[in-house]
Amino acid sequence: MEAIFWIIIALVVLVAIVFVYYYNRFVVLGNRIDNSLSQIDVQLRKRADLVPNLINSVKGYAKHEKGIMTEVTKARNLLMNAKGFEKRVKAGAELERSLGKLFAIAENYPQLRANENFLQLQNELSAIEDRIAYSRQFYNDSILTYNNACQSFPGNMFANLYGKKAKQFLQIPQESRAVPKVSF
Amino acid sequence: MQKISFHDQIQKNKLKSFFLIILIFIFFLVLGYLISLILDPSYFFIIMIFSIIFSMSYVLISYYNSDKIALASVRARPASRSGHPNFYQAAENMALASGLPMPRLFVMESEEINAFASGRNPEKAVICMTSGALKKLNKQELEGVIAHEMSHIANYDIRFMTLTAVMIGMISIIAQIFIRSLWFSGMSDRDNKAGAILILVGIIFAILAPIAAQLVSLAISRKREFLADSTAVKFTRYPPGLINALTKIKNEHVSEKEKHRVAKGLAPLFISDPFKRKISGLFATHPDVEERIKRLKSM
Repeated sequence: MEAIFWIIIALVVLVAIVFVYYYNRFVVLGNRIDNSLSQIDVQLRKRADLVPNLINSVKGYAKHEKGIMTEVTKARNLLMNAKGFEKRVKAGAELERSLGKLFAIAENYPQLRANENFLQLQNELSAIEDRIAYSRQFYNDSILTYNNACQSFPGNMFANLYGKKAKQFLQIPQESRAVPKVSF
Repeated sequence: MQKISFHDQIQKNKLKSFFLIILIFIFFLVLGYLISLILDPSYFFIIMIFSIIFSMSYVLISYYNSDKIALASVRARPASRSGHPNFYQAAENMALASGLPMPRLFVMESEEINAFASGRNPEKAVICMTSGALKKLNKQELEGVIAHEMSHIANYDIRFMTLTAVMIGMISIIAQIFIRSLWFSGMSDRDNKAGAILILVGIIFAILAPIAAQLVSLAISRKREFLADSTAVKFTRYPPGLINALTKIKNEHVSEKEKHRVAKGLAPLFISDPFKRKISGLFATHPDVEERIKRLKSM
């Protein structure tokens, strides 16, 4: 009789451990996603902060390229005012593309290209671009791990229980992958 | 599949590190016991207390300082953001791609392209690169090599590898000192029993030292390198980076002088064997570079 009692106790404890394990697993994986999301945000903001300086240094050498400069400024404003992560990332991609165009145009201005300030900004911006790409990659990796945990057995049962749903991957707009084309 | 093996790897490494520490601890206790037998059994308790304290501190010091010992033994200096911007940038990128905290970065003077990671956990990790690697590798290659080190960090290879290198490396140094002193003390007069035990301990040490050195290379199995290579590609999503870096390592000529900068026990920590030994197979610390490139290309 006593043995059965202890077996039941052991089973209850085991089940409790499994429940706690899965709960914590979802919390850890969810936090990882949130964290990588804020990483992307930090980089996007850093990039937006550099844009006014960049415009200033371009102005000094390439006054006539108003079109591209307004385009970059507009893209930056769009990013600054974008609400929601999805939109910010999209606006960020837009800004990246217009910056690409700007740098391609800058190739025609040897003096601008030789400007130290401009070069430094260019380096910084391309470093940020790398970091955004890698953070985005990790964000998607984290989502994949999370979704696998949500959808594979027996995790799916606990996911239902705790109300956790599979999340959407971050879609990178197709155009932003292509090298910007500039026509003169 | 990758995920599961990664998790397993972490558990295995933590477990192995734990057993290694226990093993070393017991080793020193046995040593103390043998010494007390040699000297005088009446000192047994004092010597045992001393050896417990000694082995405790030995284990604790090497656990908390193994990365510092490893860095100091190759005379690595901290890398500065202004002095090594490419190194920092590549490491930042790989920290983001792997989701690990940013490791502390070090540079060691050597013309040879090489790198190693150390530390007891990802939060306390360090990556050390040779100055030659920073000079000769381009951005993608640098990222590939750093990604390789990052995966050693992620799966706790660094804890086990550094502990093994430092703990066993130091034992073999102690063993050598002991054997040498034995030669001299052997001349003096002792009673037969003590002399016999001394000789016995000497023989044990003489056998132990090379075995300990070999243990380092065996424990740090070459499978780790393949695993780290494949995880590196997962981080960079660009196999040619690491492939080109390995190709450069394979093709570079290293002078004899350069080879001897690294202590033998540390060799397994590096991305490629600093001694460029030609042995492959069971006793090699690293898999053949050719084989690694081949596997990367097939991914």
